[in-house]
Amino acid sequence: MPKNILGREIPEFIEGYGKTLPFMGEHARKPEGNRAGPKLRSTFNDRTSKVVPDLKAAIAASGLKSGMTVSFHHHLRNGDFVVNAVIDACSEMGIRDLTLFPTALFGVHKKLIEHIKSGVIRRIMGSVNGPIGQMVSEGGMEVPVVLRSHGGRPRAVVSGDVRIDVAFVAAPTADAYGNLCGSQGKSACGSLGYAFTDAMFADCVVAVTDNLVPFPAAPVSMPQFHVDIVTVLDSIGDPAGIVSGTTRITRDPLRLLISKYASRLIEASPYFKEGISFQTGAGGISLAVTAFMKEAMKKREIRGSFGLGGITGYFVDLLKEGYVEKLMDVQSFDLEAVKSIAENPNHIEISADWYANPWNAGAVVNMLDVVILGATEMDRDFNVNVNTEADGALLHGIGGHQDTAAGAKLTIISQPLLRGRIPCVVDQVYSVTTPGEVVDALVTEYGVTINPRRKDLVDACQAAGNVPLVTMDELVARAHEMCGPTDPVETEDRIIGIIEWRDGTVIDVVKQLKKK
Amino acid sequence: MKTAQAGTVESMDCLVTVSEAEPGTGIALTLAGSSVARFSRAMEKAVRATLGELKINDMTVLVQDNGALDIVLKARVEAAVSRLNGGEEA
Repeated sequence: MPKNILGREIPEFIEGYGKTLPFMGEHARKPEGNRAGPKLRSTFNDRTSKVVPDLKAAIAASGLKSGMTVSFHHHLRNGDFVVNAVIDACSEMGIRDLTLFPTALFGVHKKLIEHIKSGVIRRIMGSVNGPIGQMVSEGGMEVPVVLRSHGGRPRAVVSGDVRIDVAFVAAPTADAYGNLCGSQGKSACGSLGYAFTDAMFADCVVAVTDNLVPFPAAPVSMPQFHVDIVTVLDSIGDPAGIVSGTTRITRDPLRLLISKYASRLIEASPYFKEGISFQTGAGGISLAVTAFMKEAMKKREIRGSFGLGGITGYFVDLLKEGYVEKLMDVQSFDLEAVKSIAENPNHIEISADWYANPWNAGAVVNMLDVVILGATEMDRDFNVNVNTEADGALLHGIGGHQDTAAGAKLTIISQPLLRGRIPCVVDQVYSVTTPGEVVDALVTEYGVTINPRRKDLVDACQAAGNVPLVTMDELVARAHEMCGPTDPVETEDRIIGIIEWRDGTVIDVVKQLKKK
Repeated sequence: MKTAQAGTVESMDCLVTVSEAEPGTGIALTLAGSSVARFSRAMEKAVRATLGELKINDMTVLVQDNGALDIVLKARVEAAVSRLNGGEEA
């Protein structure tokens, strides 16, 4: 069987996916041709309201039929009512064989399992988590799922790999002519970043709101000329699930130690200077790294240029206190972030295309100095897996992992060496999400492990004198000693998941788990 | 039937439950929990080795694991057996 550059066996043709292109390196694939586009449509002054009475009327007006592709965005996170409501309505209307193209799914969407079983949903292109992921891993879907990163997804849309028939946009505020805003209304979620590309490239765009305001709405994050239909639900989501409470910095001494080492690595690197930019995400370790970095920035009198990514209240504080000049926000995680994006012009809403697409004239990730990411496991070649769990189940999406790792000058994976008995370093990862060629360092409680191709970072850490270095060989040996030998994951031959690199080539495939 | 327990289901620990078994019935071992998918062979080896050192031939053993390393698993088995034999209140 043909292998990609990482030695992973990738069939030339996968049933339900088509012909594959093997991953051949970070920049190996070059785009050809022009951007794709949505269907042309015209609207004149005989139509001054796009509001239809309910969701079913909206679906009927959209022209959605069996076998089509519907897209959703995940800014309402685990509070989302829209995906379930739309698919329930499709089911009642007799629409079947849909391709679901969400930016991500959450636990709240486990209800979709019944629609997968009954044939309303035939295919999912997007992350599958929790119960849906378990079901897919055990062979519960006929067609394999396709995983794409936050940049790989808009690339697939703008290049025409994926055509969206109807995009559903959950809009916390909308007017009758389809001007949409995410930062106002009872279901406010802040940035609508992931929805933009879908709204610009879908043949029909349906906005679903629970806060219809007089025309024109202001501020506008998505303008009326992309939006075909507006409909109102009593509630588009549960605020408690849409925004999290204040995200707290970890108190776990082990994680704090890891954070301290990561911060020292950043401080020792050539990127710790005036104008530094970073993405650290919302995880406990990441926030702690940011806190340590803030102290270091204060001490060395350095100011950052921008913070990127999913934005939390902690980043909003950095903006207010002048530690960063700007925030670029594709997803606002908590209430402080939602409030800030509504009020502060230096807190900028960006689309997924703008954030991370490798096939445009330049995404923000390219301007990133430092990113801190997690991993379920990492191997001797620094390849990272974030998609499959230790038992081989496909339970996590890619998020911006590939894109930020590829874009940032310093990509750091921070992770305790053990999660229970399961080590985060292994001889070979079970599935590859992000190749070692774009990963620079791993930070565990045992110190900093630097990718040998970054000799400059080894030298910088040695010069700094306060960064404990540990080689990958030492770390793997230590993990082996503590955890003992692992049993192999037992699988069938059938492929249930395809992991694309951000350029659309296949970096790995995931196989169905053997019944126990 | 006499039963004893040692351990917890906290992260990186395990709860070991041991029960007396009729002579000649051997070791009946059930493993459950987070590490079983990838470490069942190593876990079984650790439990059986510990029972062997304690010269136990017949026992029903249930391990509810939450990521315990071998040293923890072995200690919990040893403590459970000791409690079963009246060494300590369970």
